[in-house]
Amino acid sequence: MNLSTRGFLKAAATLALALFALAPAASLAQAATDTDQWIHIRVTSRDAKGEVVRINVPIEMAEKVLPAINKDRLHDGKVRIESGQVKDVDLRAILDAVRTAKDGEYVTVQSNENNVRVSKSNGMLYIIVTDKEHVKKAAAKEDSAKGEKASAPVESKVEIKVPIKVVDALLSAGKDELDLVAALRALSAHGDTELVTVKDAENDVHIWIDSKNSTE
Amino acid sequence: MLVLAKVALGLGATLAMTTAYVFHEGVIRVDVDESRPGGSHVHFWVPATAVSAGMRVARLAPQHPLELAAEQAKPYLPVFRALAKELQKYPNAEFIDVTDEEQHMHIGTVNGKLHIDVVGDDKTVHVQVPVETLMDVAGRLEDASRSARAEGWHARHAKPVFASE
Repeated sequence: MNLSTRGFLKAAATLALALFALAPAASLAQAATDTDQWIHIRVTSRDAKGEVVRINVPIEMAEKVLPAINKDRLHDGKVRIESGQVKDVDLRAILDAVRTAKDGEYVTVQSNENNVRVSKSNGMLYIIVTDKEHVKKAAAKEDSAKGEKASAPVESKVEIKVPIKVVDALLSAGKDELDLVAALRALSAHGDTELVTVKDAENDVHIWIDSKNSTE
Repeated sequence: MLVLAKVALGLGATLAMTTAYVFHEGVIRVDVDESRPGGSHVHFWVPATAVSAGMRVARLAPQHPLELAAEQAKPYLPVFRALAKELQKYPNAEFIDVTDEEQHMHIGTVNGKLHIDVVGDDKTVHVQVPVETLMDVAGRLEDASRSARAEGWHARHAKPVFASE
């Protein structure tokens, strides 16, 4: 074997080794950028165990994986709504009315059981529900536990904040369907936002979107 | 002497190439420790390439166990494949974290490997799988599922129906 052939073989072997060694790194190079939007869910239990659940999902991943799930009412990234559930309620008409209306408060229900407020402001739909029954039940529980001092009752409050464009996208599929993938795309385009906050005696639930890949 | 040196060089180069190939996909690692008396302790690691090679070999077996596995996993394969493909884009991420006073569970990726860690009072489980291997497994199971369909797997493995039934 002459010198040039030997040199060529050495170079080929070195190159092959380098390729094998760098193969995983090359696949990592496809990594998502820092600007990707993530959905974060955090559930903090108020009980003695103090359970904390944190879920972080890239919106792009959810967009790709959801259409692959075909089970029960979920097909191709869309959820089928039973016609019985929306009987006599034209969701599209209601949405259209809300979208074209001026900013303001549309629904205010105040009762002994709960308060409900639905309003629109700067392209966002706000739904705030305060459950008073929860406070009463907690107070009753405190009374029944004689001698033992229960923790102060916390009223159950649900706050939902949804960009109108996301609601539009959600209802874009058809009459009896909700398009989850379209809604995710709209959410991703909207940028960082708080979506859902639930506070009650048992749990704190927080759902939001930002570009960080961890909860904290 | 020169011949021996050449042979040693050849063997060394072959060994280096083989090692590089075997480990180029990374390593699958499983650690299970039970802290109770007499509890089991399982620790093993396998080169991820061995899984791919094993699946290739399994397709040559007469009973074709891969077809059976593919048929059982068929409903979940599209989700598995989509998830594995997407996971490749997030080599370092934290997906699920559950903590309470008894245990801590964590699922995430570190340097392109899927990490599943459960640390409890009585048991500790750590699993690490390269995401690339998940893609490979999903692809091979899908291939096996397709070939099972093409070769009439169901017809071959259907239970016989008797007239009296």
